[in-house]
Parts: sequence; structure tokens; C-alpha cells
Amino acid sequence: MLFSSVGFLFRFLPIFIIIYLMFPKYRNIVLLTGSLIFYGVGEPFFVLLLLLSVLVNYGFTRYMFWEPRYPQSNRKIKAARRRKRAIILVIALDLSVLFVFKYWDFAAGSINAAAGKGVLPLLSLALPLGISFYTFQMISYQIDCYRGTIETRAGLLSFATYICMFPQLIAGPIVRYGEVAERMEGRRVRIRDLENGLKLFTLGLGLKVLLANQIGTLWNLIMTAGAGRLHPLVAWLGAFAYSFQIYFDFWGYSVMAMGLGKMLGFSIPRNFDHPYTSRSLSEFWRRWHMTLGSWFKEYVYIPMGGSRKGNGRTICNLLVVWALTGLWHGAAWNFVLWGIVFFLLISLEKRTFGKWLEKSLVLGHVYTVLLIPVTWVIFAITDMGQLAGYLGNLVGYHREGILVGTTQLVRYLKEYGALIIACVIFATPLPVNLYWKWKDRWFVVLILLGIFWCSVREIVLGSNNPFLYFRF
Amino acid sequence: MNRNKIRTFLEIIYNCPFVLLVIFTSVVFLIFFDGTEGREDGKNVAALRMIEEKNPAKENDITDREEQKEDSSIVEEVQKPKEQGEKDVKNAGTRKENTIGIKKDLKCKTDNKSAEISGKQEKEKKHATEFVEYTPIETDSRYYSDAGKIALTTVYDYVLENESYFNDAAFLGDSRTLGISDYAGLEGADFFCDNGMTIYKLLEDDGVTYQKTGEKVDMKEILQEKHYGKIYIMLGMNELGYGDTPMYLRQYLKVIRQIKEWQPGVIIYVMANLHVSQEKNNMETEFNNININDKNVASARLANGSDVFYLDCNPLFTDEEGYLLAELTFDGVHLYAQHYDKWRDFLFAHGVEREEIQQTETSGVPGDS
Repeated sequence: MLFSSVGFLFRFLPIFIIIYLMFPKYRNIVLLTGSLIFYGVGEPFFVLLLLLSVLVNYGFTRYMFWEPRYPQSNRKIKAARRRKRAIILVIALDLSVLFVFKYWDFAAGSINAAAGKGVLPLLSLALPLGISFYTFQMISYQIDCYRGTIETRAGLLSFATYICMFPQLIAGPIVRYGEVAERMEGRRVRIRDLENGLKLFTLGLGLKVLLANQIGTLWNLIMTAGAGRLHPLVAWLGAFAYSFQIYFDFWGYSVMAMGLGKMLGFSIPRNFDHPYTSRSLSEFWRRWHMTLGSWFKEYVYIPMGGSRKGNGRTICNLLVVWALTGLWHGAAWNFVLWGIVFFLLISLEKRTFGKWLEKSLVLGHVYTVLLIPVTWVIFAITDMGQLAGYLGNLVGYHREGILVGTTQLVRYLKEYGALIIACVIFATPLPVNLYWKWKDRWFVVLILLGIFWCSVREIVLGSNNPFLYFRF
Repeated sequence: MNRNKIRTFLEIIYNCPFVLLVIFTSVVFLIFFDGTEGREDGKNVAALRMIEEKNPAKENDITDREEQKEDSSIVEEVQKPKEQGEKDVKNAGTRKENTIGIKKDLKCKTDNKSAEISGKQEKEKKHATEFVEYTPIETDSRYYSDAGKIALTTVYDYVLENESYFNDAAFLGDSRTLGISDYAGLEGADFFCDNGMTIYKLLEDDGVTYQKTGEKVDMKEILQEKHYGKIYIMLGMNELGYGDTPMYLRQYLKVIRQIKEWQPGVIIYVMANLHVSQEKNNMETEFNNININDKNVASARLANGSDVFYLDCNPLFTDEEGYLLAELTFDGVHLYAQHYDKWRDFLFAHGVEREEIQQTETSGVPGDS
């Protein structure tokens, strides 16, 4: 089930909220059941995988801290060994589940291609929804437990609820247990939380449905014509369109998660901080998908030594982190390439021109605004030949003549001009600042109501109405 | 006590105006939304009735019969040499049962066979649209059923043309026609097309975008004022989830009659809708090749080989099972820009010279095949 669907908005959410408010004593049970229904509607089989993962992970945490009663001289050492064994095992197990479902075909396919024959069979498994998110969340919990940064470890119900709770189950943010631990055991939902949560949710819904989905059609239009024979300006327009699409899509989803979290009495961390206004790519990644960035920093980069073990080691660590970040986003070579491009640019920034970028008012913005769309193109196009064609088009190189030229460009701009301006405005902090300033004023309430119903209209017309089901 | 209760109640209202507004409007919306299912059906019926009422002169051949018969009446009317053709095709069909992707193969077969037939038969054969039959599958949809056959390009001695052939041509269609307009390089032709265009909307007052100016124009006015030598129509994709196939056929027939009335002597090309890719083909919705083929077969029955021709471009772009080749498309529906030149060449290869029709018809001499 997606947040931006009629089923969620008008069936699941209201019924769930009413039950949730009716039984304040059993909030975790209600939330867990609701979340499993939410997940199970779309993934009736994989909900079992999710439950199994939760149980196994919980078992391992128990094992990690299981203390035999009988006294022993070397009890502490034994306990430490067992903890180490448990943490290694459980991480390996979590990662291998993720690997089998998400990466097996990619790895096997690559090996087969390299060997020139079918060495490994392809499994063609469907990808369980949100597996990348919940696997990382479970690993973060295990490591935090192992390190002892969590004060009171979760009971089974709290742990299951923490992993499965529907606001962040399928598309993040990756919440760390410490951030919600207090609220797991008991939480109050005030009427103001409901109000503010629903407002935030509506904002997110608008970002996703009214901006991301709409600008996404421009990218589709350009890709439909085909990469490789685009006028450079059309190619750039497409790159910007995709950059806006992916940002508002993901940001919208994160804001919806925050809003839903608030309605349920949690405070889910912020995931985006106006990344497109950054002045360097390092800054961009401190503001884009912040929970993933901090996950990699906390659980990969720093344990590997971070930047404290000399230059060579730092670069090596960065390379590993970025290759993994790329792979996390998808199992294909273009994602690896995308990660490596970030690695190269960020390393270069750190060594050389980063200082100038941060000092200059204009230079840094121009640099990010031009480079980020290029990285998103690498992210978007999985086919290497097409990717090369598109990147060529961006710099004005064409193997064959231009097919999508200025006539189409003018038409696209006419059709999408207003939307592009709206996207640019929403990429700046201005609308959000205004929202926080005026969020309780009556006119903001009316605007939000308008956003809500415009979004619903788009959702209904876009998918449920047979008359406008297809628009070709 | 009571006053306190009222006070807390007012406080709640004061504290969450947005929640209350959303709940209130949702209740209104849900009542309205529940009604839409019924209304859709109502609309369909209304649309049907509208078409029928608008067509009183032709009522005899369309409305006074049952749906099954109705189809054949249309075909009888527009495609006189059908019986002979169908006999042949049935033979071909039984031999080729259960084979879908054999169009090219079959074309050769029918060509060979037509060489054996002589005289008048030959002439009729030449001007017919042929159908290849296969065993239909069960479908459960109010929008379509499996036609059980595939329509082939109308058999005719087409002439290879060049760009000047299209200087008096008009193209009417949806986003695929927009693709031809953008990327096939037919500068001389007039393109009237929009994303989401349907056969039902084509002649409505809302208008269609004239691609040379980018402005909406009323097709009724254009077709009455400007004279075209040929008109290419390709519509049917956006109709997949709107009305059923007989309704589509009736509307198509109505449009063609109207065009013929306004444009005497025009050559009308009914172009097949391009199939979709395997990935996009979805039997659970109306969006699949069975439905597209159903629409194509229906529109092909309008071709008579004298002034209405059916062109099937699918063999150019589809695989053996009729799916649009994945490497030709990004979204499974539209061709990449660079492949439209193939389509253009296909159109070049299917020119109809009018004098020739008359010659063949008057002399009664078999063609030179």
C-alpha cells in the first residue's frame, strides 16, 4: 500500500487512527497489527519474511545478552566472545537475506557475463518492499545494542513495532532505536499532534503527487523519445526534470512519514534539508537522505577508521562507503558508477577546491546545480549504452543527428514552464520557512485543504478512473 | 459540568481545524465517490445513446439489430467484397490455427494463393482486408473480448511514394501520431493530435491541437474548409478502457462517414494501433494486446480497399508473439524517436494512386501480380 493511494487515505488511515486512539493502552499492538496489514496487503508473502527477520533478530539480541546463572571465573570474557559471535552472525544473516533478494541476480549475472557462460543460476526473485530500509534499521539496532548505546533494550513487541511501524517501513527514514526508544514504551497523542501531523502529511502528499509525479511526466516524455539524439538543452531539461522528480518524490515520502509519525506520537527524524541549495557535493550529502548518510558514517566509515588513519586509508574508506551507497540504491552497474562518481568528486572537493566552493557565494551553487542533475542521469539510466548517449547529449555530442530539437523544447517549456518554476521555488527553503511561520493561520489551513484535495483528485484520476486511466 | 464539556469541545475544534475540515470534506467526497461507479456506467450508456440518436439516417444498419448482427451489418455495408475474402481467410485460418506471429509468412501464402485465383475473384481479393484466425482465449472484461483473428494490411497494389505524397495529407491521432509528427519528418502533412485523444473526442467542440501552430482547432471546421487528398487515422489506445469494442466500431464508422461526406474523394487510411511491450501488457487491466487487437480488427473491418485502407504497422516493430520489441521503447508504449523513420518508410510504401483504382475497376483486368 502506498501513502498516495485512495485505499490508504480513505480506508486504512482513518480506521487505523480511530482504533489507535480508542485503545491507548495497547498502542504498540495496534500499531504492529496495523503495520503488518499495511505491508501484507501489497506483499502477502513477504510479510512472513519480515516477521521471520524480526523474530530471528530479536532472538539474536537475547542471545547476545543472555547471562547464565552459574558463577564462572572467566564469565565476562565468555560473554564478550558470545556477544561478538552473535553480532557477526546476525549481521551476516541480515545482509545475506538482503543479498539473496536484491543482489543475487545482479552478482550472478555479472559473474556469468565475465565467465562467458552460465556458472550461477538466476533466481528472478521479486524484491520485498522496503527490505533495504528495514534490514539497515535492524542492523543499526543490533550494533547499538552491542555497543551498549541503547539504555533499555526493546522487548519483543517494542522491537517488532519499531521495525515494522508503517510510517517508515517501506521508504524510510532509517530511524535509530535511540531516537524513538522513549516513545516506544508509552506515548501520548495530543490533539495538536494529530493536527500538525496531518498538516505535515498533506504537505508531503502534495510534494509527491503535485510536484514529483507531474514533473516526472516530462522526464518520461524525453526518455520516451529516446536518449542519444537529444538537443543539449532538451537533455539538460530532462536531467533537471528527473532531479526534481526524485527529490520531491523522496522528500515528499519522508515528510509524509514524519507527519504520520507525529500523528502516532513519535518524532521521526528529518531526512532532507534542502539539498539542492548546497554549495558542494559533500554538503549535498549531509542534506540529502540524511538518515542513510549518517548510517553509513556511523556503522561503516567510522568503524573502518574514518579519516584518522592517514590519507591512503581515508580514501580507501570513502571508496568503500560510496560504492556501498551506490549499490544500496539498486543492483546494477550504473548505481555503482553513480557512487564512484560521488566518491571521486567528494574526494577532489576535500583535497582541492572544496574550500573555494564554500567561500564563494555563487560558485558553489552553480557547481552543485550543474553537477547534481548529471549524477541523477547516471542514477536513472540503467542501460550503459543509453547512459553514454545521454551524457554525450548533455555536452552536445551526438553520434547521429538531433531528433528532439528546439521545436519540442519550446513545446515542453510551454507545457511545463509553470511547474518547473514551482519546483525551483520548492527546492529553496522559502516555502518551508513560510509554512513554519504561518502554519496555524487560517489561510494556510485552507491552502493545505486545497493541496489535499488536488492531490486526491490526481490520485483518483491517475489510477482509479477508467476514463482517464490511459493518457497516450 | 456541562459548561466544561462544551468548553473542551470548543477547544478541540479550535485546536484542530485542519483535521476536522479534512474529515468533513472526506465524508462529502466519499458519498460522492461511491456514486461514481454507477455514474460511469450511466455515462457509457448515455454516450451510446447519443451516438445512436445522432445517427438517425443510418439507424437501419446499426441500431435496430442485436450487437452481433450489428457488426456484420456494418461490415456488409462498407466492405462489399467480404464474403469471398472471408472464405479464403477461413481456409487460411484453419490451417494456421493457434499461430499468432506468422503474419509475414501468411502474407506470402495469401499472395501465392491469390495468383491462383483469376478474373473477378482476383480483383475482389485484391481490394479486401484479410483476417488471420486463431483460437481466442477467454476474457472477462466489459471493455473487450478476444477477437480471435488478426487483421492484415488491406491487399492492394500500393505504390512507393515520396514526401510530396503527404503534402495534401492529414494525420489524426493520439500520442503515437504525435510521435510521427515529431520524428518521422513528414513536413508537408498536417498533424492534428493530442495525448489522450480518442475517436469519441475527435470531432467534438473541445478541438484537437494543430501541430504546425500548436493551437487547438475544431476538426469539424477544418475538415469542412480544407480539402485533403488522404487522411490517416490512428486512434484506439485511449479507448481501451472506455466503452466496448462494438461501440468503438460504431463511432469509428460514424467518423469515417462524416469525413467522407466532408471530403469527397478522400483516401482514408485506418492505421492499426501499435501493440505494447510484454512488460507493459497487463491482462489484469484493459491494457493489453488482446484488447488492442480487438480494436484493430474492428477498425480494419471498415477498410474496403477502394477508398478506405487498413495499414498494419505492427509487423515492423513487434516480436513473434506480437509484443512491441523492448529495445525499441522506453515506456513499452511509444517508439524511440529514431525508429519513426521505419514507420515513415512503411507509409511511403503504401501510397494509393486514384486513377489506378478506376482503371482496374473499369477494365476488369486482373492485376499484374
